[in-house]
Amino acid sequence: MTNRAFTILLWSAGILALLPLGFIVGYVVLKGVGILSIHFFTKTPAIVGQPGGGIAQAFLGSALIVGMATLFSIPLGLLAAVYLAEYGTGRFATVVRFLSEVLLSTPSIVAGVLVWTVVVVRLHAFSAFAGALAITVLMWPIIARASEDVIRLVPIELREAATALGTPKWKVVLRVVLPAAASGLTNTVLLAVARGLGETAPVLLTSLGSEFINWSPGKPTDTLSLRIYHYALSPVKSWHDIAWGAALSLLAIVLVLSIGARYLVARSKKGAQ
Amino acid sequence: MSLTRNTAGAGTPLAGSRRARLGDVLTNRIVAVAAAAVAALLLLIIIVLATGGSKALARFGFGFFTSTKWIPTEEIFGAAPYIFGTLITSAIALVLAVPVALGLSLFVTEVCPKPLRTPIAVLSDMLAAIPSVVYGLWGIFVMVPWMGATLEPFLGRTIGKVPGFGTLFHGNPNGGYNIFTAGVILAVMILPIISSISREVLSAVPRDLKDGAYALGSTRFEVVRGVTLPFARAGLVGASVLGLGRALGETIAVSMVIGGFSGHIGFSLFNGGDSIPSLIASNFNEATSAGLERSMLVALALILVVISLGFAALARLLVRRANRQMRASFARAAA
Amino acid sequence: MRRVKAVHLIAGLVVIALVGAACSSKVNNGGSSSAFKGVALSGAGATFPAPAYDALFKTFQSQAESSAAVNYQAVGSGAGITQITSKTVDFGASDAPLKDSEAAGAPGLLEIPTVLGAVVLAYNAPGVPTGLKLTPEAISGIFLGKVKFWDDAAIKSDNSGVTLPHKEIVSVHRKDSSGTTFVFTSYLSKISTDWANNPKLGAAKSVTWPSGLQGDGNAGVAQKIGSVKYSIGYIELAYALSNTITYASVKAPSGDFVAPSIDSVTAAGAGLTFPIGPKTNVLQSTAAGAYPISTTTYLLVYKDQTDKDKAQTLVDLIYWIEHKGADSAKSQNYAPLPASALTPIDALIAQITVNGTPITPSAAVKA
Repeated sequence: MTNRAFTILLWSAGILALLPLGFIVGYVVLKGVGILSIHFFTKTPAIVGQPGGGIAQAFLGSALIVGMATLFSIPLGLLAAVYLAEYGTGRFATVVRFLSEVLLSTPSIVAGVLVWTVVVVRLHAFSAFAGALAITVLMWPIIARASEDVIRLVPIELREAATALGTPKWKVVLRVVLPAAASGLTNTVLLAVARGLGETAPVLLTSLGSEFINWSPGKPTDTLSLRIYHYALSPVKSWHDIAWGAALSLLAIVLVLSIGARYLVARSKKGAQ
Repeated sequence: MSLTRNTAGAGTPLAGSRRARLGDVLTNRIVAVAAAAVAALLLLIIIVLATGGSKALARFGFGFFTSTKWIPTEEIFGAAPYIFGTLITSAIALVLAVPVALGLSLFVTEVCPKPLRTPIAVLSDMLAAIPSVVYGLWGIFVMVPWMGATLEPFLGRTIGKVPGFGTLFHGNPNGGYNIFTAGVILAVMILPIISSISREVLSAVPRDLKDGAYALGSTRFEVVRGVTLPFARAGLVGASVLGLGRALGETIAVSMVIGGFSGHIGFSLFNGGDSIPSLIASNFNEATSAGLERSMLVALALILVVISLGFAALARLLVRRANRQMRASFARAAA
Repeated sequence: MRRVKAVHLIAGLVVIALVGAACSSKVNNGGSSSAFKGVALSGAGATFPAPAYDALFKTFQSQAESSAAVNYQAVGSGAGITQITSKTVDFGASDAPLKDSEAAGAPGLLEIPTVLGAVVLAYNAPGVPTGLKLTPEAISGIFLGKVKFWDDAAIKSDNSGVTLPHKEIVSVHRKDSSGTTFVFTSYLSKISTDWANNPKLGAAKSVTWPSGLQGDGNAGVAQKIGSVKYSIGYIELAYALSNTITYASVKAPSGDFVAPSIDSVTAAGAGLTFPIGPKTNVLQSTAAGAYPISTTTYLLVYKDQTDKDKAQTLVDLIYWIEHKGADSAKSQNYAPLPASALTPIDALIAQITVNGTPITPSAAVKA
């Protein structure tokens, strides 16, 4: 095959691969932008068929559930990453690293089934807390694995300099390495949060969803993803419109977090040099 | 797969004070426990699911893999149609996604102008970040009608006429809510992950070997076919297997467009179907604890996780091996 | 130093969140002197009455008890029964009365009828207007897979004025365990011995349909009908009306073709008998102008409650729905129960107790 033919083939593949992105994002923007309004963000749903109303409870519920999940996964994931990057050299570390990579591929429904069996059934309640646990199962390996790579990027010279001054290892990690890796670590957290916000299946089985604003971790709570899911599957036209608006909101948040994360990585890489 | 230096072990203390030693011992323990917790999570998943599913598995044994009856009211459960649906939608997704993903990653590593590389990587990451439910929403309102009204009748008129193979494209009873649509959407969803890992693998192919081939007068196509792809083969397979793992576990987008299993497993891709994750998501709330249905669904979740994580493990091993081989060749070539 | 402080802060926040959960899940005792304001309740179950319940629960909160935020998840009758049996919600909802085995699994569970609705044959056939006349034979034939085309003789013979397309019928049914399915299959079992005697079919919340598309919930089925041409399925009237889906008139035992409406459902509902049992139904009513596939739907509540405020709210909610909810129900195209049902229902409500003390409807709803 000539160079030109091959080049054309590859260009076509590139365009074909990225076309769906433009299509989906464009469509969501088109259909969703018209529904966004003040009461979309601040009101809870009206009686079916009546105008007005919004999905305020979904925004707040997503914040509550993913917020809790982030609180749970940061310590667990960060500490594991510190171990893998700074302390673990042997077989155990290799196994743990491998397992956390494998856990990145956990089907989200399985996270839901796990927490449903262990928490929801035992406590006889659907709750934001259970939803947060299910999302933690998915966020934790992301933070653990990606943070390790970020921590490793911190130049070895910084560590050696601190040690040469007589600093014990734990202080070196705490006071030198982690702060140096701060923007990269924020990046991994943002990526994990973006993932957590987009999940539907785990919260479907654990948090049930709601039409009311809820701040209590022990009660059923709504999320943006659940609202889109329920409204998309309904036959009510006004709910479809709201679903597009919710999808636009969710997409915007997720993309900003993911792209923002990239920008932070670029800055941290520059900083490390 | 990390190309960074091994920093573990750097910074061991000199003759330290008691407080320093205590701090280090404590920190050692804490982080080691956190790391172990990761392994424990996997064990927890397996154990909880196995315990929950044991009742059903004990009752049905392995016959339930092949049985096609699912009648909860009589406690008859056969998982065959759902296993079939899961496998076939994933197969369609792979067939469609792997060539395009490979094309995209070759495009980025071989042909793409340097300034475009980062934006394209960004775009690919954006595709990966789109939540499943948004894919499902788009699937219901855009793909399903288009499939039902345009593409599927077209395929039925063209490929459908081919004897044998054509039966895959017969009929169109559900107007777009079927296995084929689910497979296509899955393909778009797994494309970014296959392409991003493939990109990494392809860019690790030693430059020297490629340059050597070019110096001998090979065309780009010949270099790719003769040098790049063979070298990267294991890693590329790993990338595809990783995509397969993602496809197997995908729940929401698939359940929104797959149409539902309607009595018998037909040959056409344009029939409705169902997958294991989608079945679990729809039926979980109603499985009574006293009966076997809940245990059955948990057993299916166990099988699902074993298969997906098994494939993921295989994929990661393949990719690591490929990278190791390439680093070794690089070292050899440089020596 | 920064990192340690951060960890402390995080731990503190987690503790606060958990303590907050423990505190707020306790009952919020409002001022004892003012009127009872109700507490939040959670319920799950049938999609059949979901539009009516949406209006009823929200109006109850705005007119009667302002703190009674009722969170109802329409997940299907089967799921509703499961959830109330395992007590993960405060009340359940089902269109199908409890089977003996289900009642045995949830001792003390009351079934209280609330509203009446119609299971309509909704279809999407371009060129075919609403009000297609369908006989029991045509309906059972379609869902058995025997009547395959829209212009089949079984349909054509009663609809001479309508141009029926020669297209395959796509039937849509419920994927989940559904009370609507139970009502519809009970009807099919009454009118078709083929249906009743088939071991895979019969009257149940979930059957092995011979063919067709699946939808999740009434909403999912309505959505599929709306988007798939030449499809037909069974949904509640409100879903057909609010989404402008055409629906059929069904032949009643009298020989007339009756269209589903608030009036024809009310006529059928007059035949509701107490006590409620597994066979309770108002199908194939012989009353004049009654729609043959009508049904009531039940709220499932335990008579022995443990939380006083929740019990009071439940009693008030149900009492309000039965005595004052007619307008809300009608606004969503559901029919209220006949007046004759109120006395046995009040007797059911009176059985709700907390630690042996019966709970009576509060002043907020009796006024």
